[in-house]
Amino acid sequence: MVQVYIITKPELQNKLITVTAMGKKLIGCPVCIEHKKYSRNALLFNLGLVCDAQTNTCVLEPVVKKLSGYLTTLELESSFISNEESKQKLLPIMSTLLEELNAKGACTLPINESNTIHLKLIQLRKDPPIVQEYDVPVFTQCKDHFIKSQWDLTTQQILPFIDGFRHIQKIAAEADVELNIVRIAVQNLLYYGVVTMVSVFQYSNVYCTTPKVQSLIDDKSIQEECLSYVTKQGQKRASLRDVFQLYCGLSPGTTVRDLCSRYSLQLQRVDERRLIQFGLMKSLIRRLQKYPMKVMRDERSRPPRLFTGCHSYDEICCKTGTSHQELDERLENDPNIVVCWK
Amino acid sequence: MSLFTVLLMGKSGSGKTSMRSIIFANYIARDTRRLGATIDVEHSHVRFLGNLVLNLWDCGGQDTFMENYFTSQRDNIFRNVEVLIYVFDVESRELEKDMHYYQSCLEAILQNSPDAKVFCLVHKMDLVQEDQRDLIFKEREEDLKRLSRPLSCTCFRTSIWDETLYKAWSSIVYQLIPNVQQLETNLRNFAQIIEADEVLLFERATFLVISHYQCKEQRDAHRFEKISNIIKQFKLSCSKLAASFQSMEVRNSNFAAFIDVFTSNTYVMVIMSDPSIPSAATLINIRNARKHFEKLERVDGPKHSLHMRMR
Repeated sequence: MVQVYIITKPELQNKLITVTAMGKKLIGCPVCIEHKKYSRNALLFNLGLVCDAQTNTCVLEPVVKKLSGYLTTLELESSFISNEESKQKLLPIMSTLLEELNAKGACTLPINESNTIHLKLIQLRKDPPIVQEYDVPVFTQCKDHFIKSQWDLTTQQILPFIDGFRHIQKIAAEADVELNIVRIAVQNLLYYGVVTMVSVFQYSNVYCTTPKVQSLIDDKSIQEECLSYVTKQGQKRASLRDVFQLYCGLSPGTTVRDLCSRYSLQLQRVDERRLIQFGLMKSLIRRLQKYPMKVMRDERSRPPRLFTGCHSYDEICCKTGTSHQELDERLENDPNIVVCWK
Repeated sequence: MSLFTVLLMGKSGSGKTSMRSIIFANYIARDTRRLGATIDVEHSHVRFLGNLVLNLWDCGGQDTFMENYFTSQRDNIFRNVEVLIYVFDVESRELEKDMHYYQSCLEAILQNSPDAKVFCLVHKMDLVQEDQRDLIFKEREEDLKRLSRPLSCTCFRTSIWDETLYKAWSSIVYQLIPNVQQLETNLRNFAQIIEADEVLLFERATFLVISHYQCKEQRDAHRFEKISNIIKQFKLSCSKLAASFQSMEVRNSNFAAFIDVFTSNTYVMVIMSDPSIPSAATLINIRNARKHFEKLERVDGPKHSLHMRMR
């Protein structure tokens, strides 16, 4: 009994309705135009799309709603749907709609001399996480594939400074663009999957492997990508054995500096910065950050602003302009501060 | 409280919603021009005489809906039905199709509600030439009675533009009134006591005649429905002027007619042809009879006999 959701009672009119029945999903928007010129004082119609029941139809919803609006206007302006002659055009229009949406995800529908309808399926992405000033943007694909001119002026200005090692604050300073604007621009790039965020590289950083590191052994394509990415410029390709050993050498308590001294042989053909960068981008490894927390304090003193256990060394150093080393020295001598690694 | 399910069916555009709106929703015939097509089924509950509720199912007549009523919706629609009213547009060009749908209805009724009463309304008779009307109706009636066997159907010719609509609906509703015999007996007693020529009892909201008494034959057999039609229209005109109709007295040298509120659910019309009886007397008698008839309208009112005095 699907028809009550297609040509509906007044309460459901002008609303986007999706019905799942008979193994299909029907997405439509029933319209009612009241006017005494129509034989029953109103015209009721609905242009809908039919998909397989398993399909995710979110992207189709704006298209259906738009079409119902366009058709309503066409009817009000020139009786496009009710007029016997122009009504005939609906069939080829619907045919084109089906073909082009399926093939290209977009379509152009010429209606008459004065009207053409353009439609496009827009993929909805998840909201990107907030970009922090101590985070580092790195391109997910080769930078050269990136067509500069299509992007806004800010993005074009900061692009040369995105090298996978500069953090947001540094990019803002060097590109001479306000910090918040850089954050927004990078967040935009993050939304479209052009860049991904990693943490700042320092030799004092500590990393550890994730279960995903196994994919280096199992997945041939990741292997290939990894080896070409981490091989030092001008060197023969690094071996999988060496690279895998290096990743596994990362563990809590081991700094990158430690890794370099222990595995100097394996690092002969591997760029350790790119090794870490790749590992982070593909989630083969993760960074262990230090979070200082004030544990004992006077009842009367103000609550700690940054030493709450929620702000990492990276963040604190970035915000206060101190280096990790300076911060270390300061906190090591403070008995009230405990540092957590997570 | 008696609840009756009434199915209102027929081809799309045959006039079902218009009829329902005039009889139960205070539309005048002209107002029905504004109505739109009924989508699927429109349900309404009509309270009648205080102890009767009509559960009216106005079923949209488009082919898609009709097909559904006979297939996936069959049990839902045709079960526990007391009355089927099937409306035929007299001007229809698809007589075979109309009959086909009608028969599908009857089949479903026979299976699900075999005791239902069937009424066929041959509607929009105003569009037929006046001298043709009787003939055409008779033909249709014969066809329908034949087609309806083994069920029996009662046929009426109707139009929203005259009193025939009221005749049909009065007759239909009359058959559903629970204590109609008692009502008629009491009305007769009342009429005889006050020496009235004729007494009519109307349902208050719809002005359908639910009972009458006459002591002698009158010329116009259609006078009841005509009066329904006239008074209802007058009542609606009054309300459009923000006045509410209460009572009316019409007099000439031959008779006096009184129309007044009777019980909480009815109106009464009393025709007196004895000129010696003053209006005041009749009005007092009507007032005194009210209490008695009020009791009759209550669900389990005990049997009362009418005690009254002539003044």
